[in-house]
Amino acid sequence: MRSAGAREERGFYVRRTLRVGAAVAVLAVMVAACKSNSSTAGGSGAPNSSATIVHGTTDSIVSLDPAGQYDLGSQQISGEIYDNLLVIPAGGNTPEASAAQSCAYSDPKTYTCTLKPGLKFSDGSPLTSEDVAFSFKRNLEINDPNGACSLLNAINKPGADGCKWNPASIDTPDDATITFHLNAPDATWPMILTSSAAYIVPSDVFPETKLQPDDKVIGSGHYTLTKYTPGQQVVLAPNPNWWGDPPANGGVIVQYFDKSSALKLALEQGDVDVGWRTFTPTDVEGMKGESQLQVLTGPGSEIRYLVFNESFPAGKELAVRQAVAMTVDRQAIVHNVYNDTVAPLWSMVPSALPGHIDAFKDAYGDSPDVAGAKKALQDAGISTPVPLEIWWTPTHYGDSSADEYAEIKRSLESSGLFTVTLKSTEWDTYINAAVTDQYPNYQLGWFPDYPDPDNYVFTFYSSASFLNDHYKNAKVDQLLADERASTDQAQRVKDFQEIQKIGAQDVPIVPIWEGRQLAVTTQGITGVQDTLDVAYLLRYWMIGKSS
Amino acid sequence: MKRSSSLRGYVITRTLLAIPMLLILLTVVFLLMRVAPGDPISAALGGKLPAAELARRKHDAGYDRPLAVQYVEYLKDVATLNFGTTILDNRPVTQVIAQNGAATLELTFFAMIVAMVAGVGIGLLAGAYRDTAIDLGGRLFGIVLYAAPVFFLGFLAQLTFGKWLDWLPTSGQTSPVVGATLQTHTNILVIDAIIDRNWSALQDVLRHLIMPSVVLGLVIGGIFIRLVRVNLLQTMKGDYVEAARARGVKEPRVVYKHAFKNALVPVITIMGLTFALLLGGAVLTEETFNWPGIGAELVRYLDNRDYIAVQGIVVVTGIIVVIVSLAIDILNAWVDPRIRY
Repeated sequence: MRSAGAREERGFYVRRTLRVGAAVAVLAVMVAACKSNSSTAGGSGAPNSSATIVHGTTDSIVSLDPAGQYDLGSQQISGEIYDNLLVIPAGGNTPEASAAQSCAYSDPKTYTCTLKPGLKFSDGSPLTSEDVAFSFKRNLEINDPNGACSLLNAINKPGADGCKWNPASIDTPDDATITFHLNAPDATWPMILTSSAAYIVPSDVFPETKLQPDDKVIGSGHYTLTKYTPGQQVVLAPNPNWWGDPPANGGVIVQYFDKSSALKLALEQGDVDVGWRTFTPTDVEGMKGESQLQVLTGPGSEIRYLVFNESFPAGKELAVRQAVAMTVDRQAIVHNVYNDTVAPLWSMVPSALPGHIDAFKDAYGDSPDVAGAKKALQDAGISTPVPLEIWWTPTHYGDSSADEYAEIKRSLESSGLFTVTLKSTEWDTYINAAVTDQYPNYQLGWFPDYPDPDNYVFTFYSSASFLNDHYKNAKVDQLLADERASTDQAQRVKDFQEIQKIGAQDVPIVPIWEGRQLAVTTQGITGVQDTLDVAYLLRYWMIGKSS
Repeated sequence: MKRSSSLRGYVITRTLLAIPMLLILLTVVFLLMRVAPGDPISAALGGKLPAAELARRKHDAGYDRPLAVQYVEYLKDVATLNFGTTILDNRPVTQVIAQNGAATLELTFFAMIVAMVAGVGIGLLAGAYRDTAIDLGGRLFGIVLYAAPVFFLGFLAQLTFGKWLDWLPTSGQTSPVVGATLQTHTNILVIDAIIDRNWSALQDVLRHLIMPSVVLGLVIGGIFIRLVRVNLLQTMKGDYVEAARARGVKEPRVVYKHAFKNALVPVITIMGLTFALLLGGAVLTEETFNWPGIGAELVRYLDNRDYIAVQGIVVVTGIIVVIVSLAIDILNAWVDPRIRY
């Protein structure tokens, strides 16, 4: 039996423990209560050109060297640091001169640009034609596994296996003139000059045969890189040697988040001014109701689609493909799965691009046509229900893929015409298997390299398509060759429209939805709406913050 | 002399045993990364490039060379502490370990402080007030903490203290502006802020540390509560404790000086091992709080099949765990002469 004295003495260290705990708790509350002054919430009133904008994103950077990147995260920062000969202006979809004063074809295989006078890199060194030629050369020579040198096929060494510099492809007769000698007529070349493969780098700073360290990159764009903490933060300051108007802000901090939920919380707390890429539909729904945030949308060029491999029994049958196209309920997917943050896609060319037509809507209507699908199958003598095996991946296209494909299954099976087996696997296994004849029907998505319909129709409908879906149409191949060789934009538009109509008839691929660009900002942030366009570049220089 | 040579022999034996342990770890990591389907090129550019172009890039990067060739090169690199450059983002692996490892070290250190204060304190109370409401409350608290997933507690904390009360930031090591302006010397931001005498930055860093370190610390503390309680009750049954009481030693002194310190020996071992394991990255905590630690980074590299990064991080983490557990064993052997092999 314990004595009263023992109990009292035991209480001694109990009280001491509690005192220690209380002291720790008070200290924590004091630290927490002293909110830092680093909130970035904007106010009302005139834009403050010295304000720092904080952009939060779930993207990541592979490389800030143009020769080592082919991803949106890297291109977003590089698009601020580097300049191109041509760029896509905000809200537009036709290349305009930037570093170049002018560019033009002298013949279908010769494209000449003249640089603006007095251009400089951010370190003050002059930008000449030699730097431009060097930039293309090193991209091809380095041939980085993560790089976009494959976009430069038009000037690649003919017959080479992979990327290889062709010395005859670029002439620089003087410091201001660059002449490209293309391997074949290529109407997309001006578009490619707007891409990440064509950023201009200084020849006396960047090495010719290897990548430049990310924290030492220099360009001639709107901003300079002042700090880079991989995986965490990029800090940009206005480039004092930029040839054009100064930016609407005093600098940008790009903060990287692993999860969109963390980005959402940071926006709500005011730690981030602009959230762009990528939010889930649930995040967006939650933020729409918050008074301190603005949800902005703009046209996008990201698409999702379902591929039929025509070497499999079901994919081989035109009637089956057409019946699926008639039965898929795009509206249900857009509304139920994505809360209307995306839009139905009626063509393999997104609606924001010139030449787009709603080919599938014109051919099959804008809502499921079960009767039409049934007739198509009956006329072809195909018994129903048709068994379909459809593959999708949970680890590359976002958390909503599962729901999307469940909805596709539901809409196909509810017609009574199909029985659908859904299968999935993680991305690495998936992508290798999908394009090597292991999956009969499968999900894929696409971001454009440049905002031209060629980057869609050639990619998907060409007999050399990376999809390896065994779709071949000689007329389409001819139309693709024609549009690539033509500099007559009106004629190209007609060719694109014809290709889309054929695509809707042949249905090697069923377009499902197209993404809308979506950004969320705190109140007082300006300029974001104007930069949400098909170029997929958040132009920081346009973004301001009210005082 | 006999004791010191016995201890020396013990240390040598334990150190030598670490070598085959590391070799097994290196080999398993190498094989798992190579045998698992996928490769870094397909992970990054699959669905963008034709299969032939992907194959060519893989070949150029050497991913299709014989496994034995790759293995020998791998061992040579490890032996020369050349952990290479990550495939995904071209960073020297040592830089990844230094920067992200420092963030994990910072989080782990403060979490362990919370764990020790909460775990030892509550465990002590529970043991001292055995079979009372305090004991029951302490044990329940420990079970709940230990059983609750750390990300769930993290989300609750973010919701309560971040979103509803707006007391604390919910993610990151610092606010963006502080992160942009704070000079990094050691990559441990608390120390960096002190070095720069940047008190506002220090305050910002500490505010960001509170939630993740308290959440992680409480979860670990749940284990320590039970461990301290059980060990304290065990040592309180000892003859020397009764003898101390019989000599008239006051109860607090009996419990605190005699019983408690002996009860802590196995607890310290567990604490040390826990600390070493956490240095490999408290992945769930780091992901929940967007903490730029080595665990979250490892997951990213795993997702992208970045062999080089994963091998380097796992090897270095393994070496750290081996060294820390060796140090703990040596410390225990030095403190307690009964411990020998």
